[in-house]
Amino acid sequence: MKTFKTLLRTELLLSFRGLDMLLFAICMPVVVTVIIGLLFDGRPAYSGASYTFFEQSFGAICTIAICAGGVMGLPLVLSEYRGRKILKRFQVTPVSPALLLVVQVTIYAIYSIASLILVYLTGKLFFKYQLQGSVLSFLGAYFLVMLSMFSIGILVGGIAPNSKIAGAIASLLYFPMLIFSGATLPYEIMPPFLQKFADLMPLTQGIKLLKTASLGLQSDNILAPFLIMLITAVACTAVSLRFFKWE
Amino acid sequence: METAIEVSDLHKSYGSIKAVNGISLTVSRGEVLGLLGANGAGKSTTIECILGIRHPDRGKISILNMDPYKERKKIFEKVGVQFQEISYQDKIKVSELCQVTSSFYKNPAEYAELLNQFGLNDKQHSYVAELSGGQKQRLFIVLSLIPKPDVVFLDELTTGLDPKARRMVWKSLTDLKKKGLTILLTSHFCDEVEVLCDRIMILKKGAVTFYGTVSEAISKSPFNQFENAYLWYADEEEENEDL
Repeated sequence: MKTFKTLLRTELLLSFRGLDMLLFAICMPVVVTVIIGLLFDGRPAYSGASYTFFEQSFGAICTIAICAGGVMGLPLVLSEYRGRKILKRFQVTPVSPALLLVVQVTIYAIYSIASLILVYLTGKLFFKYQLQGSVLSFLGAYFLVMLSMFSIGILVGGIAPNSKIAGAIASLLYFPMLIFSGATLPYEIMPPFLQKFADLMPLTQGIKLLKTASLGLQSDNILAPFLIMLITAVACTAVSLRFFKWE
Repeated sequence: METAIEVSDLHKSYGSIKAVNGISLTVSRGEVLGLLGANGAGKSTTIECILGIRHPDRGKISILNMDPYKERKKIFEKVGVQFQEISYQDKIKVSELCQVTSSFYKNPAEYAELLNQFGLNDKQHSYVAELSGGQKQRLFIVLSLIPKPDVVFLDELTTGLDPKARRMVWKSLTDLKKKGLTILLTSHFCDEVEVLCDRIMILKKGAVTFYGTVSEAISKSPFNQFENAYLWYADEEEENEDL
Protein backbone atom coordinates (compact mmCIF):
# COMPACT_ATOMS: atom_id res chain seq x y z
CA MET A 1 0.00 0.00 0.00
CA LYS A 2 2.92 2.32 0.79
CA THR A 3 4.37 1.57 -2.64
CA PHE A 4 1.05 2.14 -4.38
CA LYS A 5 0.49 5.48 -2.67
CA THR A 6 3.99 6.77 -3.36
CA LEU A 7 3.85 5.64 -6.96
CA LEU A 8 0.38 7.08 -7.49
CA ARG A 9 1.36 10.43 -6.01
CA THR A 10 4.56 10.63 -8.06
CA GLU A 11 3.05 9.43 -11.32
CA LEU A 12 0.10 11.80 -10.92
CA LEU A 13 2.53 14.66 -10.38
CA LEU A 14 4.48 13.64 -13.49
CA SER A 15 1.25 13.53 -15.44
CA PHE A 16 0.33 17.05 -14.26
CA ARG A 17 3.75 18.27 -15.35
CA GLY A 18 3.02 16.82 -18.78
CA LEU A 19 -0.10 19.04 -19.04
CA ASP A 20 -1.66 17.03 -21.92
CA MET A 21 -4.20 15.29 -19.76
CA LEU A 22 -5.16 18.46 -17.91
CA LEU A 23 -5.88 19.94 -21.31
CA PHE A 24 -7.56 17.02 -23.05
CA ALA A 25 -9.32 15.32 -20.14
CA ILE A 26 -10.11 18.20 -17.79
CA CYS A 27 -10.37 21.45 -19.79
CA MET A 28 -11.70 20.17 -23.08
CA PRO A 29 -14.84 18.45 -21.73
CA VAL A 30 -15.77 21.58 -19.78
CA VAL A 31 -15.28 23.74 -22.88
CA VAL A 32 -17.45 21.39 -24.94
CA THR A 33 -20.08 21.48 -22.18
CA VAL A 34 -20.15 25.26 -22.29
CA ILE A 35 -20.29 25.39 -26.10
CA ILE A 36 -23.12 22.87 -26.37
CA GLY A 37 -24.89 24.56 -23.48
CA LEU A 38 -24.71 27.95 -25.16
CA LEU A 39 -25.52 26.70 -28.67
CA PHE A 40 -28.56 24.66 -27.71
CA ASP A 41 -29.64 26.75 -24.74
CA GLY A 42 -32.68 25.04 -23.24
CA ARG A 43 -33.90 23.71 -26.59
CA PRO A 44 -35.53 20.29 -26.67
CA ALA A 45 -33.56 17.49 -28.34
CA TYR A 46 -36.17 17.39 -31.13
CA SER A 47 -39.62 18.90 -31.35
CA GLY A 48 -41.81 17.20 -28.78
CA ALA A 49 -38.87 15.59 -26.92
CA SER A 50 -39.23 15.31 -23.16
CA TYR A 51 -35.56 16.22 -22.65
CA THR A 52 -33.29 19.01 -23.88
CA PHE A 53 -30.52 18.73 -26.41
CA PHE A 54 -28.07 19.51 -23.67
CA GLU A 55 -29.38 16.73 -21.44
CA GLN A 56 -29.05 14.39 -24.37
CA SER A 57 -25.43 15.45 -24.90
CA PHE A 58 -24.34 15.00 -21.29
CA GLY A 59 -23.76 11.27 -21.66
CA ALA A 60 -21.53 11.93 -24.65
CA ILE A 61 -19.46 14.74 -23.18
CA CYS A 62 -18.52 12.78 -20.11
CA THR A 63 -16.74 10.22 -22.29
CA ILE A 64 -14.22 12.76 -23.65
CA ALA A 65 -11.90 12.23 -20.68
CA ILE A 66 -12.35 8.45 -20.78
CA CYS A 67 -11.40 8.50 -24.44
CA ALA A 68 -8.38 10.76 -23.86
CA GLY A 69 -7.06 8.67 -20.97
CA GLY A 70 -7.90 5.24 -22.27
CA VAL A 71 -7.09 5.51 -25.92
CA MET A 72 -4.36 8.18 -25.84
CA GLY A 73 -2.85 8.42 -22.35
CA LEU A 74 -2.58 4.73 -21.45
CA PRO A 75 -1.03 3.47 -24.70
CA LEU A 76 1.52 6.28 -24.70
CA VAL A 77 2.60 5.90 -21.10
CA LEU A 78 2.79 2.10 -21.24
CA SER A 79 4.81 1.95 -24.42
CA GLU A 80 7.05 4.76 -23.22
CA TYR A 81 7.75 3.06 -19.89
CA ARG A 82 8.59 -0.13 -21.68
CA GLY A 83 10.74 1.67 -24.25
CA ARG A 84 12.58 3.57 -21.55
CA LYS A 85 13.21 0.29 -19.70
CA ILE A 86 11.35 1.49 -16.64
CA LEU A 87 9.31 -1.71 -16.52
CA LYS A 88 12.58 -3.66 -16.73
CA ARG A 89 13.90 -1.80 -13.69
CA PHE A 90 10.75 -2.80 -11.79
CA GLN A 91 11.54 -6.43 -12.55
CA VAL A 92 14.61 -6.28 -10.30
CA THR A 93 12.73 -4.90 -7.31
CA PRO A 94 10.32 -6.67 -4.95
CA VAL A 95 7.50 -4.82 -6.74
CA SER A 96 5.81 -6.22 -9.80
CA PRO A 97 5.83 -4.08 -12.94
CA ALA A 98 2.08 -4.82 -13.03
CA LEU A 99 1.72 -2.39 -10.12
CA LEU A 100 2.82 0.43 -12.41
CA LEU A 101 0.06 -0.62 -14.78
CA VAL A 102 -2.48 -0.51 -11.96
CA VAL A 103 -1.21 2.95 -10.96
CA GLN A 104 -1.58 4.27 -14.50
CA VAL A 105 -5.10 2.89 -14.83
CA THR A 106 -5.95 4.53 -11.50
CA ILE A 107 -4.58 7.87 -12.71
CA TYR A 108 -6.69 7.86 -15.87
CA ALA A 109 -9.72 6.78 -13.86
CA ILE A 110 -9.10 9.76 -11.56
CA TYR A 111 -8.94 12.11 -14.55
CA SER A 112 -12.16 10.64 -15.96
CA ILE A 113 -14.07 10.89 -12.70
CA ALA A 114 -12.78 14.43 -12.07
CA SER A 115 -13.95 15.37 -15.55
CA LEU A 116 -17.36 13.77 -14.96
CA ILE A 117 -17.81 15.78 -11.78
CA LEU A 118 -16.70 19.03 -13.47
CA VAL A 119 -18.94 18.49 -16.49
CA TYR A 120 -21.86 17.65 -14.22
CA LEU A 121 -21.31 20.74 -12.06
CA THR A 122 -20.89 23.00 -15.09
CA GLY A 123 -24.12 21.63 -16.54
CA LYS A 124 -26.00 21.90 -13.28
CA LEU A 125 -24.82 25.39 -12.35
CA PHE A 126 -25.02 27.07 -15.74
CA PHE A 127 -27.42 25.05 -17.87
CA LYS A 128 -29.90 23.63 -15.32
CA TYR A 129 -28.80 20.08 -16.06
CA GLN A 130 -30.52 17.26 -14.24
CA LEU A 131 -29.83 13.56 -14.56
CA GLN A 132 -33.21 12.07 -15.43
CA GLY A 133 -32.30 8.41 -15.24
CA SER A 134 -31.15 6.51 -12.20
CA VAL A 135 -27.74 7.48 -10.86
CA LEU A 136 -26.86 3.86 -10.37
CA SER A 137 -27.52 2.70 -13.91
CA PHE A 138 -25.73 5.78 -15.23
CA LEU A 139 -22.65 5.01 -13.13
CA GLY A 140 -22.84 1.36 -14.14
CA ALA A 141 -22.83 2.32 -17.81
CA TYR A 142 -20.10 4.89 -17.18
CA PHE A 143 -17.74 2.38 -15.60
CA LEU A 144 -18.47 -0.20 -18.27
CA VAL A 145 -17.50 2.33 -20.95
CA MET A 146 -14.38 3.20 -18.96
CA LEU A 147 -13.44 -0.47 -18.64
CA SER A 148 -13.93 -1.01 -22.33
CA MET A 149 -11.96 2.06 -23.47
CA PHE A 150 -9.13 1.44 -20.99
CA SER A 151 -8.83 -2.16 -22.11
CA ILE A 152 -8.31 -0.93 -25.68
CA GLY A 153 -5.56 1.37 -24.41
CA ILE A 154 -3.82 -1.36 -22.42
CA LEU A 155 -3.93 -3.61 -25.43
CA VAL A 156 -2.37 -0.99 -27.70
CA GLY A 157 0.23 0.04 -25.11
CA GLY A 158 0.95 -3.55 -24.14
CA ILE A 159 1.66 -5.01 -27.54
CA ALA A 160 2.81 -2.12 -29.76
CA PRO A 161 6.48 -2.78 -30.55
CA ASN A 162 7.57 0.77 -29.68
CA SER A 163 6.21 4.10 -28.54
CA LYS A 164 6.16 5.55 -32.06
CA ILE A 165 3.85 2.83 -33.30
CA ALA A 166 1.80 3.03 -30.12
CA GLY A 167 1.45 6.77 -30.67
CA ALA A 168 0.36 6.28 -34.27
CA ILE A 169 -2.26 3.67 -33.35
CA ALA A 170 -3.44 5.82 -30.44
CA SER A 171 -3.91 8.83 -32.73
CA LEU A 172 -5.72 6.68 -35.25
CA LEU A 173 -8.14 5.55 -32.56
CA TYR A 174 -8.39 8.73 -30.53
CA PHE A 175 -9.07 11.48 -33.06
CA PRO A 176 -11.78 9.73 -35.08
CA MET A 177 -13.49 8.60 -31.89
CA LEU A 178 -13.23 12.03 -30.31
CA ILE A 179 -14.79 13.75 -33.32
CA PHE A 180 -17.11 11.19 -34.89
CA SER A 181 -18.37 9.07 -32.00
CA GLY A 182 -20.52 11.91 -30.73
CA ALA A 183 -18.28 12.75 -27.78
CA THR A 184 -17.66 16.30 -29.01
CA LEU A 185 -19.67 16.73 -32.22
CA PRO A 186 -23.23 15.64 -31.35
CA TYR A 187 -24.22 12.39 -33.07
CA GLU A 188 -27.73 13.71 -33.65
CA ILE A 189 -26.63 16.51 -35.95
CA MET A 190 -24.47 14.24 -38.13
CA PRO A 191 -25.76 13.31 -41.58
CA PRO A 192 -26.97 9.68 -41.75
CA PHE A 193 -23.94 8.35 -43.66
CA LEU A 194 -21.66 9.75 -40.97
CA GLN A 195 -23.84 8.20 -38.28
CA LYS A 196 -23.40 4.81 -39.97
CA PHE A 197 -19.64 5.27 -39.89
CA ALA A 198 -19.81 6.44 -36.29
CA ASP A 199 -21.77 3.34 -35.29
CA LEU A 200 -18.72 1.25 -36.10
CA MET A 201 -16.73 2.82 -33.28
CA PRO A 202 -17.00 1.25 -29.83
CA LEU A 203 -17.21 4.64 -28.15
CA THR A 204 -20.36 5.51 -30.16
CA GLN A 205 -22.00 2.43 -28.70
CA GLY A 206 -20.83 3.36 -25.23
CA ILE A 207 -22.29 6.82 -25.64
CA LYS A 208 -25.65 5.34 -26.69
CA LEU A 209 -25.61 3.38 -23.48
CA LEU A 210 -24.80 6.46 -21.42
CA LYS A 211 -27.46 8.56 -23.14
CA THR A 212 -30.12 5.98 -22.49
CA ALA A 213 -29.06 5.70 -18.85
CA SER A 214 -28.75 9.45 -18.25
CA LEU A 215 -32.08 10.26 -19.88
CA GLY A 216 -33.86 7.40 -18.13
CA LEU A 217 -35.24 6.13 -21.44
CA GLN A 218 -36.87 2.79 -22.03
CA SER A 219 -33.97 0.43 -22.39
CA ASP A 220 -34.93 -1.88 -25.24
CA ASN A 221 -32.23 -0.65 -27.60
CA ILE A 222 -29.28 -0.99 -25.30
CA LEU A 223 -28.61 -4.71 -25.48
CA ALA A 224 -26.39 -4.38 -28.56
CA PRO A 225 -24.31 -1.46 -27.22
CA PHE A 226 -24.06 -3.17 -23.86
CA LEU A 227 -22.77 -6.37 -25.43
CA ILE A 228 -20.34 -4.49 -27.66
CA MET A 229 -18.85 -2.74 -24.62
CA LEU A 230 -18.63 -5.97 -22.69
CA ILE A 231 -17.11 -7.95 -25.55
CA THR A 232 -14.57 -5.20 -26.26
CA ALA A 233 -13.51 -5.16 -22.63
CA VAL A 234 -13.24 -8.94 -22.32
CA ALA A 235 -11.52 -9.46 -25.67
CA CYS A 236 -8.95 -6.67 -25.24
CA THR A 237 -8.19 -7.73 -21.67
CA ALA A 238 -7.76 -11.34 -22.70
CA VAL A 239 -5.43 -10.49 -25.59
CA SER A 240 -3.45 -8.10 -23.35
CA LEU A 241 -3.02 -10.74 -20.66
CA ARG A 242 -1.73 -13.18 -23.24
CA PHE A 243 0.53 -10.89 -25.27
CA PHE A 244 1.50 -8.01 -22.97
CA LYS A 245 5.19 -7.23 -23.38
CA TRP A 246 7.05 -6.04 -20.30
CA GLU A 247 10.25 -5.59 -22.23
CA MET B 1 32.80 -18.85 3.31
CA GLU B 2 29.13 -18.34 2.64
CA THR B 3 28.13 -18.21 -1.02
CA ALA B 4 26.22 -15.17 -2.27
CA ILE B 5 25.92 -15.91 -5.98
CA GLU B 6 26.28 -19.28 -7.62
CA VAL B 7 26.02 -19.97 -11.32
CA SER B 8 26.77 -23.25 -12.99
CA ASP B 9 26.95 -24.06 -16.67
CA LEU B 10 24.94 -21.09 -17.92
CA HIS B 11 23.98 -21.13 -21.60
CA LYS B 12 22.00 -18.56 -23.55
CA SER B 13 21.65 -18.23 -27.31
CA TYR B 14 19.89 -15.65 -29.45
CA GLY B 15 19.05 -17.54 -32.58
CA SER B 16 22.30 -19.07 -33.79
CA ILE B 17 24.47 -16.70 -31.75
CA LYS B 18 25.74 -18.16 -28.51
CA ALA B 19 25.73 -15.12 -26.22
CA VAL B 20 26.71 -17.10 -23.15
CA ASN B 21 28.35 -20.48 -23.54
CA GLY B 22 28.82 -22.46 -20.36
CA ILE B 23 29.68 -19.94 -17.67
CA SER B 24 30.08 -21.04 -14.05
CA LEU B 25 30.98 -18.75 -11.21
CA THR B 26 30.78 -18.42 -7.45
CA VAL B 27 30.86 -15.22 -5.46
CA SER B 28 31.29 -15.45 -1.70
CA ARG B 29 29.74 -13.04 0.76
CA GLY B 30 31.68 -9.81 0.90
CA GLU B 31 33.57 -10.59 -2.27
CA VAL B 32 33.79 -8.39 -5.38
CA LEU B 33 33.78 -10.16 -8.72
CA GLY B 34 34.49 -8.22 -11.90
CA LEU B 35 33.04 -9.42 -15.17
CA LEU B 36 35.20 -8.22 -18.03
CA GLY B 37 35.21 -8.53 -21.77
CA ALA B 38 34.76 -6.61 -24.98
CA ASN B 39 31.35 -5.25 -25.95
CA GLY B 40 29.21 -8.18 -26.99
CA ALA B 41 31.27 -10.70 -25.02
CA GLY B 42 28.19 -11.67 -23.01
CA LYS B 43 28.53 -9.66 -19.81
CA SER B 44 25.10 -8.07 -19.81
CA THR B 45 23.37 -11.26 -20.90
CA THR B 46 25.10 -13.11 -18.06
CA ILE B 47 23.94 -10.52 -15.54
CA GLU B 48 20.40 -10.50 -16.91
CA CYS B 49 20.22 -14.30 -16.71
CA ILE B 50 21.53 -14.25 -13.15
CA LEU B 51 18.88 -11.65 -12.26
CA GLY B 52 16.14 -13.81 -13.72
CA ILE B 53 14.96 -11.26 -16.28
CA ARG B 54 16.23 -13.47 -19.08
CA HIS B 55 15.52 -17.17 -19.22
CA PRO B 56 18.75 -19.10 -19.70
CA ASP B 57 18.64 -22.05 -22.10
CA ARG B 58 20.49 -24.12 -19.54
CA GLY B 59 22.22 -23.69 -16.22
CA LYS B 60 21.59 -23.30 -12.52
CA ILE B 61 21.52 -19.97 -10.77
CA SER B 62 21.09 -18.97 -7.18
CA ILE B 63 21.41 -15.66 -5.39
CA LEU B 64 21.53 -15.81 -1.58
CA ASN B 65 20.48 -19.47 -1.98
CA MET B 66 17.28 -18.50 -3.79
CA ASP B 67 16.10 -18.97 -7.35
CA PRO B 68 15.94 -15.48 -8.90
CA TYR B 69 13.09 -16.48 -11.16
CA LYS B 70 10.82 -18.09 -8.59
CA GLU B 71 11.68 -16.05 -5.51
CA ARG B 72 11.87 -12.65 -7.14
CA LYS B 73 10.06 -10.74 -4.42
CA LYS B 74 12.25 -12.11 -1.65
CA ILE B 75 15.55 -11.82 -3.46
CA PHE B 76 15.13 -8.25 -4.61
CA GLU B 77 14.38 -7.11 -1.09
CA LYS B 78 18.12 -7.67 -0.52
CA VAL B 79 19.63 -7.24 -3.99
CA GLY B 80 20.33 -3.92 -5.71
CA VAL B 81 20.82 -3.52 -9.43
CA GLN B 82 22.27 -0.79 -11.59
CA PHE B 83 21.70 -1.45 -15.26
CA GLN B 84 23.95 -0.26 -18.00
CA GLU B 85 21.19 1.78 -19.58
CA ILE B 86 19.80 4.42 -17.29
CA SER B 87 16.01 4.49 -17.16
CA TYR B 88 13.72 6.99 -15.51
CA GLN B 89 10.43 8.75 -16.11
CA ASP B 90 10.46 11.96 -18.06
CA LYS B 91 10.06 15.01 -15.78
CA ILE B 92 10.85 13.14 -12.55
CA LYS B 93 12.99 14.79 -9.88
CA VAL B 94 15.87 13.16 -8.04
CA SER B 95 14.06 13.13 -4.69
CA GLU B 96 10.93 11.65 -6.29
CA LEU B 97 12.84 8.85 -7.96
CA CYS B 98 14.51 8.09 -4.64
CA GLN B 99 11.20 8.16 -2.75
CA VAL B 100 9.55 5.84 -5.23
CA THR B 101 12.50 3.46 -5.09
CA SER B 102 12.49 3.55 -1.28
CA SER B 103 8.79 2.70 -1.23
CA PHE B 104 9.56 -0.66 -2.87
CA TYR B 105 11.42 -1.97 0.16
CA LYS B 106 10.43 -2.92 3.68
CA ASN B 107 13.50 -1.42 5.26
CA PRO B 108 15.15 1.06 2.89
CA ALA B 109 18.26 3.12 3.55
CA GLU B 110 18.01 6.88 4.04
CA TYR B 111 18.38 8.07 0.48
CA ALA B 112 19.47 11.55 1.56
CA GLU B 113 22.52 10.04 3.23
CA LEU B 114 23.39 8.05 0.13
CA LEU B 115 22.99 11.10 -2.11
CA ASN B 116 25.33 12.93 0.21
CA GLN B 117 27.83 10.11 0.13
CA PHE B 118 27.86 10.20 -3.67
CA GLY B 119 28.08 13.98 -3.91
CA LEU B 120 24.50 14.57 -5.01
CA ASN B 121 23.04 16.23 -1.91
CA ASP B 122 22.45 19.54 -3.70
CA LYS B 123 20.65 17.81 -6.59
CA GLN B 124 17.63 16.48 -4.67
CA HIS B 125 15.22 18.93 -6.28
CA SER B 126 16.71 18.79 -9.77
CA TYR B 127 15.09 16.95 -12.63
CA VAL B 128 16.93 13.71 -13.35
CA ALA B 129 16.99 14.65 -17.03
CA GLU B 130 18.99 17.78 -16.19
CA LEU B 131 21.80 15.92 -14.41
CA SER B 132 25.09 15.36 -16.21
CA GLY B 133 25.94 11.85 -17.40
CA GLY B 134 28.21 11.26 -14.42
CA GLN B 135 25.64 12.54 -11.95
CA LYS B 136 22.99 10.25 -13.42
CA GLN B 137 25.40 7.34 -13.16
CA ARG B 138 26.02 8.10 -9.49
CA LEU B 139 22.28 8.52 -8.86
CA PHE B 140 21.64 5.04 -10.22
CA ILE B 141 24.33 3.60 -7.98
CA VAL B 142 22.50 5.33 -5.11
CA LEU B 143 19.22 3.71 -6.23
CA SER B 144 20.87 0.29 -6.26
CA LEU B 145 21.97 0.84 -2.65
CA ILE B 146 18.58 2.00 -1.34
CA PRO B 147 17.43 -1.56 -0.46
CA LYS B 148 20.41 -1.85 1.95
CA PRO B 149 21.43 -4.76 -0.22
CA ASP B 150 23.49 -7.81 0.66
CA VAL B 151 24.38 -8.13 -3.02
CA VAL B 152 24.62 -5.49 -5.75
CA PHE B 153 24.97 -5.85 -9.49
CA LEU B 154 26.64 -2.88 -11.13
CA ASP B 155 26.75 -2.96 -14.91
CA GLU B 156 29.38 -0.54 -16.20
CA LEU B 157 29.77 1.11 -12.88
CA THR B 158 31.78 4.22 -13.68
CA THR B 159 31.33 4.72 -17.42
CA GLY B 160 30.96 8.45 -17.96
CA LEU B 161 32.39 9.53 -14.61
CA ASP B 162 35.22 12.00 -14.25
CA PRO B 163 38.32 10.83 -12.32
CA LYS B 164 37.26 12.51 -9.09
CA ALA B 165 33.79 10.97 -9.19
CA ARG B 166 35.26 7.56 -9.94
CA ARG B 167 37.45 7.81 -6.83
CA MET B 168 34.37 8.80 -4.82
CA VAL B 169 32.47 5.77 -6.08
CA TRP B 170 35.40 3.44 -5.43
CA LYS B 171 35.74 4.71 -1.88
CA SER B 172 32.06 4.25 -1.11
CA LEU B 173 32.03 0.76 -2.55
CA THR B 174 35.18 -0.23 -0.69
CA ASP B 175 33.56 0.97 2.54
CA LEU B 176 30.42 -1.02 1.81
CA LYS B 177 32.50 -4.06 0.96
CA LYS B 178 34.16 -3.86 4.37
CA LYS B 179 30.67 -4.05 5.86
CA GLY B 180 30.09 -7.31 3.97
CA LEU B 181 28.47 -6.18 0.72
CA THR B 182 28.86 -8.62 -2.17
CA ILE B 183 29.39 -6.98 -5.55
CA LEU B 184 29.23 -8.28 -9.08
CA LEU B 185 30.32 -5.57 -11.48
CA THR B 186 31.24 -5.13 -15.09
CA SER B 187 33.77 -2.56 -16.16
CA HIS B 188 35.94 -1.48 -19.04
CA PHE B 189 38.52 0.15 -16.83
CA CYS B 190 41.47 -1.92 -15.75
CA ASP B 191 42.55 0.45 -12.99
CA GLU B 192 39.08 0.21 -11.47
CA VAL B 193 39.11 -3.56 -11.62
CA GLU B 194 42.53 -3.67 -9.96
CA VAL B 195 41.34 -1.46 -7.13
CA LEU B 196 37.95 -3.04 -6.48
CA CYS B 197 37.87 -6.67 -7.54
CA ASP B 198 38.93 -9.65 -5.47
CA ARG B 199 38.54 -11.84 -8.50
CA ILE B 200 37.79 -11.32 -12.15
CA MET B 201 36.24 -13.29 -14.97
CA ILE B 202 37.15 -12.43 -18.54
CA LEU B 203 34.69 -13.35 -21.24
CA LYS B 204 35.24 -13.69 -24.94
CA LYS B 205 32.36 -14.54 -27.28
CA GLY B 206 30.30 -15.83 -24.38
CA ALA B 207 32.97 -18.14 -22.98
CA VAL B 208 35.33 -17.78 -20.04
CA THR B 209 38.96 -17.12 -20.98
CA PHE B 210 40.17 -16.31 -17.49
CA TYR B 211 38.79 -16.71 -13.97
CA GLY B 212 40.88 -15.81 -10.93
CA THR B 213 42.62 -12.90 -9.24
CA VAL B 214 44.17 -9.95 -11.03
CA SER B 215 47.71 -11.07 -10.10
CA GLU B 216 47.01 -14.58 -11.40
CA ALA B 217 45.77 -13.03 -14.63
CA ILE B 218 49.06 -11.21 -15.01
CA SER B 219 51.27 -14.14 -14.07
CA LYS B 220 49.52 -16.55 -16.44
CA SER B 221 49.93 -14.12 -19.33
CA PRO B 222 53.11 -13.10 -21.16
CA PHE B 223 52.73 -9.57 -19.79
CA ASN B 224 53.48 -7.83 -16.54
CA GLN B 225 50.77 -5.17 -16.69
CA PHE B 226 47.13 -6.00 -16.09
CA GLU B 227 45.82 -3.97 -19.02
CA ASN B 228 48.01 -5.87 -21.47
CA ALA B 229 47.13 -9.17 -19.86
CA TYR B 230 43.42 -8.31 -20.05
CA LEU B 231 43.65 -7.48 -23.74
CA TRP B 232 45.50 -10.72 -24.31
CA TYR B 233 42.63 -12.68 -22.71
CA ALA B 234 39.81 -10.64 -24.23
CA ASP B 235 41.14 -9.66 -27.62
CA GLU B 236 39.31 -11.33 -30.45
CA GLU B 237 42.36 -11.23 -32.73
CA GLU B 238 44.47 -13.35 -30.42
CA GLU B 239 44.33 -17.08 -30.24
CA ASN B 240 44.48 -18.60 -26.78
CA GLU B 241 43.09 -21.56 -25.00
CA ASP B 242 40.25 -21.44 -22.58
CA LEU B 243 41.54 -21.68 -19.07
